Parts: sequence; C-alpha cells; structure tokens
Amino acid sequence: MSTLVAIIAATDPAERNRSIESVCQGASPETLLAECAALEAFRRESPSLYERVRALFFLSCIHRYHLPTALVGRGAALIPHAGYELLLNRRFEEAIEAFLQHQADHGPSDALSSALAVSYRELGLQTLANQVRRSVRSLRGNQWMFRVGHPADHSLRIRPELLASRGTAAEQGKTFPVLRESTPVRMDLSHAGWSDIFFLGMDHPEGARVLNVSIDLGVHGRDAAPKPPVEAYLRVIDTPVLRLTSVDLGASAEISDLGEVFDFARDHLGLLKAAVIAAGIVPPGIEGSGASLADLLARVVGPGLGLELVSSVNNIPKGSRLAVSTNLLAALIAVCMRATGQARSLTGPLEEAERRLVAARAILGEWLGGSGGGWQDSGGIWPAAKLIRGVVATEGDPEFGASRGRLLPRHDPVPLGASLQDSLVLVHGGMAQNVGPILEMVTEKYLLRSAAEWNARVEAGEVLDEIISAVEAGDVPRISAATTRNFFGPIQTIIPWATNIYTETLIDRVRERFGSRFWGFWMLGGMSGGGMGFIVAPEVKAEAQAALAEIMADTKRKLQHALPFAMEPVVYDFAVNTHGTWCDLLDGSQAIMPAGYYVLTIPQLLKTDRRELSPSRRAELDSFGEACRTKPELSGMIHSLFDRLFPREVGGRTNLGELRATLAELGFDEVQHEQIRSDLHSGRIGLAQNRLPASSVIEDVQNQDVTGFDRGAVPDETMRRLGMEAIGRGEAAVVTLAAGIGSRWTQGAGVVKALHPFCRIAGRHRSFLDVHLAKTQRIARLAGGDVPHIVTTSHLTHRQIAEAGLPVILSPGRAVGLRMIPMARDLRFAWEELSHQVLDEQKQKVRDSIHAALINWAETSGEGNDYTDNISQQCLHPVGHWYEIPNMLRNGVLARLLTERPQLRWLLLHNIDTVGADLDPALLGCHISGGSALSFEVIPRRIEDRGGGLARVNGRVRLVEGLAMPREEDEFRLRYYNTLSTWIDIDQLLKVFGLSRADMLASVGPRAGEIAARIDAGIRAVAAKMPTYVTLKDVKKRWGQGQEDIFPVAQFEKLWGDMTALPEVSCRFLVVPRQRGQQLKDIAQLDGWLRDGSAAAVEALGDWT
Amino acid sequence: MKIKRAVITAAGRDQQELPLQRLVDRDGVAKSALEIIVEEAVAAGAHEIAVVVRPGDEALFGAAAGKSPTRLELIPQPEPLGYGHAVCCAHRFVGDEPFLHFVGDHLYVSDSSLRCAQQLVAVAEAEECAVSAVQPTRENMLPYFGAIGGRRVAHSRNLYDIDTVLEKPTPTQAEQELIVPGLRAGHYLCFFGMHVLTPTVFELLENGGDAGRRQLSSALGKLAGRERYLAFETQGNRYNLGVPYGLLTAQFALALAGKDRADVLSQLVELLARQPGSS
Repeated sequence: MSTLVAIIAATDPAERNRSIESVCQGASPETLLAECAALEAFRRESPSLYERVRALFFLSCIHRYHLPTALVGRGAALIPHAGYELLLNRRFEEAIEAFLQHQADHGPSDALSSALAVSYRELGLQTLANQVRRSVRSLRGNQWMFRVGHPADHSLRIRPELLASRGTAAEQGKTFPVLRESTPVRMDLSHAGWSDIFFLGMDHPEGARVLNVSIDLGVHGRDAAPKPPVEAYLRVIDTPVLRLTSVDLGASAEISDLGEVFDFARDHLGLLKAAVIAAGIVPPGIEGSGASLADLLARVVGPGLGLELVSSVNNIPKGSRLAVSTNLLAALIAVCMRATGQARSLTGPLEEAERRLVAARAILGEWLGGSGGGWQDSGGIWPAAKLIRGVVATEGDPEFGASRGRLLPRHDPVPLGASLQDSLVLVHGGMAQNVGPILEMVTEKYLLRSAAEWNARVEAGEVLDEIISAVEAGDVPRISAATTRNFFGPIQTIIPWATNIYTETLIDRVRERFGSRFWGFWMLGGMSGGGMGFIVAPEVKAEAQAALAEIMADTKRKLQHALPFAMEPVVYDFAVNTHGTWCDLLDGSQAIMPAGYYVLTIPQLLKTDRRELSPSRRAELDSFGEACRTKPELSGMIHSLFDRLFPREVGGRTNLGELRATLAELGFDEVQHEQIRSDLHSGRIGLAQNRLPASSVIEDVQNQDVTGFDRGAVPDETMRRLGMEAIGRGEAAVVTLAAGIGSRWTQGAGVVKALHPFCRIAGRHRSFLDVHLAKTQRIARLAGGDVPHIVTTSHLTHRQIAEAGLPVILSPGRAVGLRMIPMARDLRFAWEELSHQVLDEQKQKVRDSIHAALINWAETSGEGNDYTDNISQQCLHPVGHWYEIPNMLRNGVLARLLTERPQLRWLLLHNIDTVGADLDPALLGCHISGGSALSFEVIPRRIEDRGGGLARVNGRVRLVEGLAMPREEDEFRLRYYNTLSTWIDIDQLLKVFGLSRADMLASVGPRAGEIAARIDAGIRAVAAKMPTYVTLKDVKKRWGQGQEDIFPVAQFEKLWGDMTALPEVSCRFLVVPRQRGQQLKDIAQLDGWLRDGSAAAVEALGDWT
Repeated sequence: MKIKRAVITAAGRDQQELPLQRLVDRDGVAKSALEIIVEEAVAAGAHEIAVVVRPGDEALFGAAAGKSPTRLELIPQPEPLGYGHAVCCAHRFVGDEPFLHFVGDHLYVSDSSLRCAQQLVAVAEAEECAVSAVQPTRENMLPYFGAIGGRRVAHSRNLYDIDTVLEKPTPTQAEQELIVPGLRAGHYLCFFGMHVLTPTVFELLENGGDAGRRQLSSALGKLAGRERYLAFETQGNRYNLGVPYGLLTAQFALALAGKDRADVLSQLVELLARQPGSS
C-alpha cells in the first residue's frame, strides 16, 4: 500500500495527521509517480468525501512542489490544449484524464505537472464547495424553497399585522406599518487560525472554534453613540412590485419581473435580492419558471400589493472585517422571515432555532450572490459573546456520511467578565484587500497537514482557550497578550500575508507612544490593514483613540502609493450588544423609513404629479414632513435633500481642464489619440484585430533555436568570467520597468508596484524595487564594479519613486494615453469569444450579469469616448513597455549615462515583478559572446503562463504576444514562455533606431536640437513597424464608504517583445530556470512562491541591508 | 371507548354560510352541506349532535340540518373567541366522554365501503384514545390546515403517534418540526377536519392561558404530551368548502363518487367541448 494512501486512511490521529513533506521530500520521480498512481486510484474508489478531497490535495501538492524538483533537467514540454479547455470549463475530471493520458504517452514533465496540480486543486475545492452547497440545500427549513416552481405552490403568507392599513385604511391615507430589524455586527476575538472556513469546520469540527462578540458601532467623532449599525426595513406597498433600496449604496429599484430578482449584478441591490430569495419570498426554485412576480406577490402579500425592503448600514465602511455585509444579509433575511411568519415573534429578539435558520439562510444567500463568508459571520444576530463551535455530524444530519462535521456550528454564550469597551480602540485602517485567496491557502495547508501550519493551528486553538479564560476572568491585559501572540505567532506562521508593513508600523508607533499602557494588538477577520483592534490601559483610551486617528492618517499618507488603500482610516466607538438582532413594528406616524431613504427617493417623487402618487405614498410623505419638523435627528434633512437635488461636483471625477493640462505636460499626442479613436470606431483596430493573420504558421521552436540554461547544469565558467569582468569594468547596467500600478496585484486598486512591500525577506518587508536593488548591489560587490540601476517610470509612478529616495536613476515616461470607453464589440469578444475560466455555477451567473451590465454601460456612455469619469490617475495609461527604451533616448537618461560611463555597453532590461532576474554574469557572458543586439530570456512553460511565447512564425524565430495569437490553441504548441528580461547591446540597438553612441553623446551638447529631432524620427520609424494592440484594462472607481466598482476600459499598447519580429534586429533566446524568469502578478502566487523555494532563491541573490 | 356524541363547529366568521350551501349528494338528493355532515356523524354512530353557531343563527342552521333521527342541539358561541373556544362551548353537551368532532366547512368522500367518519371512529374505539383524521397534503396547502408531526405506529399502515401539532405552519416550520418518516417530500399530514377527542381537550382549552383567541391546534399539541394521541390516514378525501372553488370541487367529488357519475361526466365532457375556440 502506498504510504500516502495509508496516511489518509489511518484511524490513528498521529498517523493521519502526518504531513506530505515527511514522505515526499527528496523522493525520486519514480516513487512520486507511483504514489500519484496509488492516490489517483484511491480517490476514485473511496466513498468518503474527505478522503477523496485529501487525496486530491496530496496529488496537487506532489505535482506542484515535489515532481517539478525531481524532474529538473528533463527540459520543456507541452500541455495538451484539449485538457486546458476542459480545465477552463470546470470539467476537472475529464481534464485530469486528458493530462494523465498525455503523461502516459509522452512521459512526465514540469509543464504537465503544473496542469495536473491546478486540476487536482480545483477539483478538491469544487468537491468541498459542492458539499457545503448540498448541506445548505438539504438543511431542514431550506428544502421546500427549491421545490416551489409556481406561485400556486407558494405557501408563505404575509403576517396580518403588516396589512393593518389594507383596504379602507390605505384609501383613507394611512401608511402600512414598517417592520425594522436592527442588528449588531460581530467581531471575533480569535478565529483559531481561520477555523471558521466551512470546509475546515466540516473536515475537522473539533478544531473549528471562534469566540465572537456582537457589537454596536459608531464612527468616533461622527456619531453621537454606538448603535446597531445594520438595519433592515420591510413594509407592504400598494403596488404589485418589489421595491428594493440600499440607502448606503444609493441604489433603488422597483422590480416587476421575476427574472430581475435573480439578476444580482445588474445594480447595487444584489444583497437585497439574495435576501428576498433566501428568505423564501421569491424562492430559489422558481428561478427561470417564467412565472409572474405580481402573481407571486398576490399569493404572498395580497392582490395588487407588493413589498418594499430597505437596507441601511449607518455608513460603516466596507472591509471593516466586522462582517457587515453578512450581518446585513442576515438582518434582511430575518425581517423577511418574520414578515412571512417564519419566525414566531414578529418583534423583539429571535429564538435560538430561528437564529440558526437565519444563519443557514445567510449562507444560502451568500452562495446565491456568488460570495461566501465564514460560518461565524452572521454572529451579530446572537447576543453578546459566544463561543461558536463545529459540531460532529451524527446520524440523521444531512452531512452524516459525507463530512465529519455539520454545516452549521453551535453557539454557546460566554460570560463577558471584562469591559472591553474601556480598553479596546477599534479602527478601520483603510486598506482594501481581498481575503479570498487567503481562505483557499488556509484550506489547502490544513488538508495537507503541513507540519508548521498544523502546529500553528494547534497553537491557535490554545490561544483561543487562553482568550476564553481571560474573557471570563475579566482580565483584559491577558486577552491582549493572547491576541498579540496570536497575530505574531500562529496567524503569520499559517499565512505570512496576513500582516503588512502598514499594520506593523501602526503597532510600533502605538507602542512607542503609549509604552507599557499599550497592552496589545488584535487582528480582526481574515487579514490586517482593515478592521483592527489596539488594546490600551483604560485611562488612556480616549487619548489612544485620538492618537490612532492621527497615526493612521500619517502612516497611510506615507504608504499610500505602496499599499492599496480604499479610504481614509477611521476610529470606531463600540458597545457590546446584549440582545442580538431585534425587531420593532413601527405604526402610525412612526411608520417611516430611515432618513437616507427619503434623501434618495424624494427627488424622484418630486418629479411626479402629487395626484399620481398612491394614497399611502402621500400619507407617508406627510408623516415624514411632520417628523422633520419635530425630530431633532432629522433636522439636517432639508440640506441633505437640497444637496441631492442639486449635486455639487465632488471627487471621483476628473476635472477636465486639469486633465487636459496634465496630458499636455506628459506629451500626449492628440493626433494619434484621435486616429486611434477613429480606427476603433471603424473596426480597423480592436481586440480581434490584434491577432496575426489566420494564415500565419505558428510552430514551436527547435532545440537549436535556444540556448539552454535551465537544466541545472553548472554554467560555463568562461561565460561567467566574461560577464563578471564586464560588470567589473562598469560595462553593464540594469533597467527595471516600473511604470505600472499593479492592476492585477491589487485587482485594479492601483499602487506603485515598484514600491509595494510584497514580502518579508531577510527579516523585513521589502518592496519589489528593494529586491532588485539588493541583487544589483550584490553583483556589483562580487564584480568589484559599479552598476547603475535605471528605473523607468510613468506619470503614475515617477513622483512617488523619486520621493522614495532610492539609489536609482529615473527614466521618466515620455508617452501617455487617454483611456477610452470600450467598444461593446471588444467587450463581447473578450468575454464571449476568448476562453475564460468558467466559475462555479452561481458565481458564473453573477459574472454574466456583470458583463451584461458593463456592455450596457459602454453603449450608453458612448463607445470610444474618452474615459474621464474617474480620478485622472485612472483615466491616463502608459502606452506599453516598448516605449521604455525609446524614452531613455528621448529623455536624455541614456545620453547622460554614456557621457558619465563611456564604457557602458550592456543593459539588462526586466519587468518589476520578475523578482528572480539579476545581472547574472554567466548570462551576460553568453550575451556578449553571442554577439546579438538583444538576448531574450525565456522559461519552460507551465499552465499558468498565458499570453504568448517563443515561436517560429512563418519560419522566423520570435516572441509572439498572446493577443496576437491567431488561434488560442497555438499557444499550447509553444514550449517556452517570454519573461521579457532582455540583454541589450546598446550600440546595436542604437543602430536599429538609426543612431549611434556618438549621436547620444552629442545630444547633450550644442547639437541637442538636431539630435533630438533625429531621435524622434528614429523612434517614429521603428514605432511604425510595431503593432498597436488594443487591450482592456480593469480600473476601479471608488465611491461612498470604501465602495468600488470595476470598469473595463480600452487602451492601446506597443510591446517590447515585438522587437524580435524586426528582421534588422538580431536576437537570441536564452532558456533560464523558472525561479529566475517567473513574474509575480497575483497575490495568490505568493504562497507557492514562498513554498517552492523561489523566495529563498531570491533571498540568496541579494545583499540585504 | 364508545362514541355517542358529535360536535360540529360552524361559528367561524368566514364559514358561517358555508354549511348552509346546498349540494347534490352521492344519492342525487339536494341537501345542505350541514345535512351531509350530520349524516356522516350519524353513520359513524353518533346519536346526539351539537352544532356550535353564531348567536342568532340557530333557526337557520336548525333548518339546514335536515330531518335527522338523532337529537340535534344548536349551541351559540357568545363571542368570536376562536376555534378552540367554539369547541369549548360544547363541553356541557359532551360531558366527560370522548366525542366526534367535525368542522362545518368540510365535506368527505370515502374511497372505501366505510364512510370516513366510520373509519375514524372504528380506529378510536379500537385504540381507545384520541385520534385525528389526517391526509397527506402538498406543502402549498399548508396555509389552510393544521398539520402534525410524528412517527408511524409499528406494524401499522395508516396510524401515527403524534408529537407535534401546528396550525397553518409555514413550510419552513413544517420542514423543521413536522417530520414524518416515510412521507413523500413536500407532503405533510394535515388535518382532515374530523377528530375523535377525549375530554382532556376541554381542560387544555379552558386552561390554555390565552387571553384572546383559543386555538384547537395548540391544545391538541399539548394533548400529545398528556396522553396517547394518534393520527389516522383516512381512506378518502376531504374537501374544504372555504378555499376558492372549494364548493364546486366538493360538488364534483360527490357527484363523481355517486350514482349520477356517468351523467355528470358526460356533461363535463360536453362543457369541455364547448370551450371558446374549440370547434
């Protein structure tokens, strides 16, 4: 029997919890492949879901980490495109079969293992997610909702109390009563190492424990006192529609079509729609039935009547780590359930069984809306402090036999012996981060039982015990010590990315300011930087609140270009809520909605003739008018309404005058811009036109077309010496491309990627630029020479990098573009023609709905128009890395370099995120001896390397961009992927532009004008031969309290790799190891990068100060 | 146990006219709904029958009850205090004995040679306990009925030990609390409108504590905790006259189960053939 299968099947916990590393470390490829075959057979046969899932994660781990190491030196290989297509379509089982068949036919390879690793991992996560969904659906109380397929099947009825003004009362001008659910949010004192992830609770219920507290909240300095921040309002209306309003998101809609209820991304009302569905008012089973919403409402509410649902979260910013959105969803579901008799009590608190059902429905709602939280997140509906624990599934539970734990945990109250309010300063640091990848990383690590993480998990459990005991004892310093130990110990051992330089700076500064009166730090939720807690001695709490506001604002100011911030930091006031969720029935003159609702709706109503308003609407407005006169909290309504009716121009939109001025300053080419717009409109350029002609013959290169440095062989000593001597003589320089703002890294939020401290290396958080400089310093030291380090910048990054004061030479960008609203044709091409990873069912539905909304946005905003509805930083764009070297000619940087260092001959050009690239002497020696103008570094392809590669195009060896591939499958015929790292012979390159070294030296003298004109002419001539690609870029538009919308905008680019297509440029292609060539584009890559030894390899390349 | 008396409640605000509606029974004779119910009771062995009505309706209901061979008593419910209270009004009439109870707005059509009430009384007398007639009902009808949760009695096909009784539950409540193993998904055992009850129910109703309206279902829920209380899946169907087209459906059911079946069917077919648009 295989060792790994024996571990999975073991009954003895000591054996079962053995890590995979203990078996696979250093194993031969044959042993690993034999283990894989055994695991593959086992996972297909095992009846236990968790055995299957663990086997899948083991398989993924072997293919991701162990086989690639064991297979070093076996060369590049191909991945079958058919398997890739299956993978994109989430047909994981078939994809695995295709890859395994290819492995059987052609032997194992690094490339194939990368494909299998992804397939096994995705299948594992899908299996787990399906189990959660099955459990949610099969939970008693939820099942019926999936059976209702017609209004006549519906058996919910509105509570009679809510119809009090039905009939005569409505005609007489009375309003219907309003049901108001007020719900606290939850903060967790410890989640025992993310043990609240559903999968983990269901795999290891004993380890799933969270201590969380329900709290009321207010923004310090803004709100008079903390109150339940989440409110949901429901009432009957005399129109047969669903009227949904989100006060905080400023969105309102009257829905009369059943299909629209299931269209989550159409507007900002997705959460309210999910609540209406999860509460059973519009049951999920009726989706797609073609039934009439009016008929359904007639059945549930009454003929001619409808429902209005309003949400309000009292301006609490997004990303607070207090589960605001889950608790809002729970509040909305609770109020809908009460209104339809699904809770015994119409008002007051909920009973325990009802709370559990609301929690289960919130899980369902999150799934419907395509999001997902932890199982503790709806904790706000329970009162005060409670220990939430996983429960072992027993016979009779729907989970029994499939998973070890139940879907829903149990909640046990914990006495709060300590007055946390007196010591805890609760804040939102302002950072916006996506916790999603972290949850997947944790799941994978736990299921693999990786030793360090598993031990940390055990320690996190002990910390939780310590916190519970300290909470019961009322010992706040002990709580503080435990939460601090948790953050710096187990949490960071499990996920190093849970911390960041911003959080640690805040902690240091608070400690410095308050000394021993600062008791400890507390990370809320999945990662730090957003919601956080600082615990101080009670006597300095007020001072600490003021100090933290100041420290956070100041630290944010210093780091705002390096880290993604969504908003200004805020300090909260809070109070423990002892009721949990609570409902009131507002009747008569009290039956009004929150003030923000009227600010939103009255301007619209004012446009309506009063006689056309329904009697209840007229009566409501009278009540509201009366309330404005008598209630002090509504005294500012007139101003708010006036502002809404006549909005002022505020931030979030570019001042067009300023934008034009910026464009002029940055050398914007208006003529070229208009030409591009005209070409876009006419269809001469576009996403489809980026492609090479369909008749192009795209083939893989032959072995003699590349020079291999990837086989783990010792580089030729002669080459190394040649390179080292050149560096020692000062002949080489490094050029780092740093014009970008890390769109993918921050999901469009935008930071100066060069300055982004992405990882802790040699004991400190280091930015990408820190890493590159450390490598340059090391080589310079070893060679005994001086190596200039040039950083190319753009208008988005120049000032910030200059202010960082690093020992670099800046080469400012001299080309900028203005983004445009994309053509609907291009959006359709991108979303419908190109292959994409299909998401799981519900998420895919949401994505399709977003796409439809965005196509509508492009059409109504004017396709091809300038994109100016955002801050200017998001409206302008760099025009592609091809321009970076020409920029160095134009801006005088190269001329100055050559003047100061006449011996300079070689440049290494690389991207900011190619963290393994350095001035490697052996590669430089190889470039020198090869005699080509450019030597491009390529790496053996893995499945994640999408976007072109090294090919023979109609017989010529060149790099092809993914955008230019005539057929998507062509890319899968190419074994090598472009890293963009390029070794440049300066003199030969100048020749390509029709220039010489002498010209460059003369460009800073009296002939400057003449030479500048020649430089411009040379650049224009080469640019004319370079293809112009139209690309779509996601930009974020921020608004409200940390809210963001993402828009795809069109821009154009010229790319450096196309230099290889010019016949006059001699090129070589060097195959380098993956660790050197891989680019870090996505935060989700970090964990693997750390784990597969890449991070350690980079650390070994630098001199770290 | 011997059932001698029956109580029919007909004082509900929305149902007061329903028992007075005239229908043609299985034998082709035009009768009021109340008369048909009285016949059902008599056939089941009840010699004395009480009808609880709204004050002032006694004469109307007395006439509608027909010429029954049994003693008929009309008991006014002084105030509209709910279904449970209406049952309580018959306490003196019933005394300290078990009794058969019908709601006044349901009619029954048996699938066997025994009438529905006969089947029920036979079970109650054999088991010597309170028994409610039930019928598996689709969940979309839950807003109209009381429903029970429980377990099938060992070695029985149609008897259930009742654990829980809920009046007009939501499907959410029903799914969580009215579990009956062996029933089709989305179906619940809903009351048939016909019960054999023990005098304990009066005690539970009278001491129910509800100041306002008293509900029979909550008392029946408590009854399950006090003594043996069974549900009996009757061979037959009940027709609720109070739902939309309820009277029409009941009439069809009676006619199609009676001697005029062929005539009614042929009239129906003719009616269908004359639908607008058909040639």
